[in-house]
Amino acid sequence: MAFLDNSGDIILDAVLTDLGRRRMAQGNFKIIKYAFGDDEIDYSLYNLNHASGSAYYDIEILQTPLFEAFAYSSIGITYGLASYARNDLLYIPEIKLNQVTNDQAVLTSNGLVYLAVNAETATALKGADALGSAAYYLENGSTSGYSMIFESGLDTTDLNADAANRTSYLVANNLVDSTYNVYFDNRFISNAATPTRTSRFTNDSSGNDKVSVRLKSSTATSRATGMTNTSVTTAIGINNTVYNITVGGASDTDVSALKGPRGSATAANFTVVTGLDTDSSGTQDSKFSLYGKTGQDLFGDSKTYDYIETEVIIEGLNTGARIQQTVRLTRRAS
Amino acid sequence: MPTLNYESINTNTDVTTTRTLLHESIPLTGAIVSGTYGQETSEENIKNYTHGMFQSVYDYPYLSSSANHIFDITMGYHSSSPFSSSASEQNAKKINLYTEFAQVLLGYTGSDNIVEIFESDLDFGDNNNQMKSCYFVNFSRLLTKDQVKKGSFSMTIGTGSWLGPFDLQAVAANGSTSGSAIVITDASSSEVGGTNTKGNGGEYAVLYRRYGTEAAGYTYSGIGAANENGVGVIFYQAGIVVLTSSIWDRMGPPIKAIGQGTFYRRHEGHLKQSISGAFTGSSISGACDALRHRIANISFNNTTEINSTIYFCRAAHNKFNYSSNPTYISGSKIRVKNVSSDSPISYITTIGLYNASNELLAVAKLSEPIKKDPTTELTLRVRLDY
Repeated sequence: MAFLDNSGDIILDAVLTDLGRRRMAQGNFKIIKYAFGDDEIDYSLYNLNHASGSAYYDIEILQTPLFEAFAYSSIGITYGLASYARNDLLYIPEIKLNQVTNDQAVLTSNGLVYLAVNAETATALKGADALGSAAYYLENGSTSGYSMIFESGLDTTDLNADAANRTSYLVANNLVDSTYNVYFDNRFISNAATPTRTSRFTNDSSGNDKVSVRLKSSTATSRATGMTNTSVTTAIGINNTVYNITVGGASDTDVSALKGPRGSATAANFTVVTGLDTDSSGTQDSKFSLYGKTGQDLFGDSKTYDYIETEVIIEGLNTGARIQQTVRLTRRAS
Repeated sequence: MPTLNYESINTNTDVTTTRTLLHESIPLTGAIVSGTYGQETSEENIKNYTHGMFQSVYDYPYLSSSANHIFDITMGYHSSSPFSSSASEQNAKKINLYTEFAQVLLGYTGSDNIVEIFESDLDFGDNNNQMKSCYFVNFSRLLTKDQVKKGSFSMTIGTGSWLGPFDLQAVAANGSTSGSAIVITDASSSEVGGTNTKGNGGEYAVLYRRYGTEAAGYTYSGIGAANENGVGVIFYQAGIVVLTSSIWDRMGPPIKAIGQGTFYRRHEGHLKQSISGAFTGSSISGACDALRHRIANISFNNTTEINSTIYFCRAAHNKFNYSSNPTYISGSKIRVKNVSSDSPISYITTIGLYNASNELLAVAKLSEPIKKDPTTELTLRVRLDY
């Protein structure tokens, strides 16, 4: 898309999206709401220390050239403007992948989360010459093994991670994500496992890890609106009451990925679509060659693997915060 | 996909519809119509068909993908026309073409469903001023869009000899007071009157010949300055111009000397023909060649009707002051604030319009970011045209 001419009056370039045209052809084109977006804006350009004063803080942002409207609905607005009741918020929660709790939080390897599509692959990945530990991979569809654990809260040392700050900065402002959306590519993943209501995410008065996340297969999977090949399921948010124990005890950051007041946590594991999970003696799914790589020597463990890398997105419904994580769906090939 | 802060649209206060007529000026120069892309019988922008019933005019050699179809030309006469004769070239086809235009544009009359006859006045049912032998110019929808703007049509054609259709030497022969190039317009028509709406083909107006000069003021009449009937009609919605062959009636009969009284010189054997000779003794495509050769220019304004829905998207003072943009925070702290008492600020670049299922149906982009904070309220007007 070209940039819009910004030399004169402010203009609006409006187009129907592909989805809009389709709905019009189907006779059910009805606009009932709107939202604002700011995808092009890089807020790091906001310079609170500009030498010329506050009038120049956002001079670079205001000069940002803007694209013409995209007709593809999936890229219309990725990040929306948000409304909060209070104007004095200084902190907004973000979502982090937890890799520190003892409770079977899967670890990344070179930024990737591995998912073994079958037991044979899991065994191979666990080998000392491969990933070396079950902590580094998810098992296909497992509700009892390792999972991706996400936390929503404030990742700042400015605020002590205690109950009072959790209440005043998060709970009082409705910034605790009680529900999350989990997006995944339905060409490769058929379903997600998400936490049960009996799960907990906390530490005790001595700072000891008391995290216990239990998963169940999600039943609320549906196609994600406006996103090609994407499904979405909801996951509950577990109250994240990991606090900083100021006198003695274990560090809260040994339990939580966040440094400041925490809001909630959730977790996810995934089930790959049928066909991707065949073992090395079975038929290799053509998706591995179409969308990924086959016969790769990943670890120098005298084995080869097929894999597909796909993105999963976790989004907090209260805060709008999101995190995107790459998952490598791995199959032992030989 | 993302969880956005939506605002509902109140259909009573936030939506309105408008209708706008857009006009474009369409100037067609005669050189495009005849001469630029070759000479008679080998013009690369003229497409003739094996059925021989009309020819298409393009603005560029028609075998090129860059070519645009601009209009078709054909001709015909009524079965009761003096030209109608079994000896006439393509007689049946010429009658059929006239009938086709008449039945589509005018319709039928009487219990026997007799096809109406074109008339050079606004009352085609009174059998006065009938035009029984005509040229038809069908403009492409690419040019006319929804319709030709009333009162905007102008066509300059030559009434001089074949070799010099616009030369002054034919003035006397054609009874012209303004040279052999005559201007035909629908100046008596406008959006508020001067048209007939009873025909099947939509509104039409009479084409008159323009006399006089701009300085002295124009007058409009028929073939002669004293005639009140016109020289053709124009159907605005159909984008079709009907010209009577009588425009060239006053030209002299074919003679061998160059320059005088010859409507058409057939390429084969240089046979010269009067207008009646062209209508009876020439093929349709040959007669169309003759008309194209005499077109100096055509101009009109087209009309595109745009129906718009305008959505007023309001950002109240207490709404949309924060962002979920990942760059909005650093270490969970809002970048645009030093302390909590600072006003939150966001910048609007995009407006998304959604249905009940949160599907993005339309999107609008601003040409530059607009600052939003609690001290401002914005109303952004998004217009969707259909």
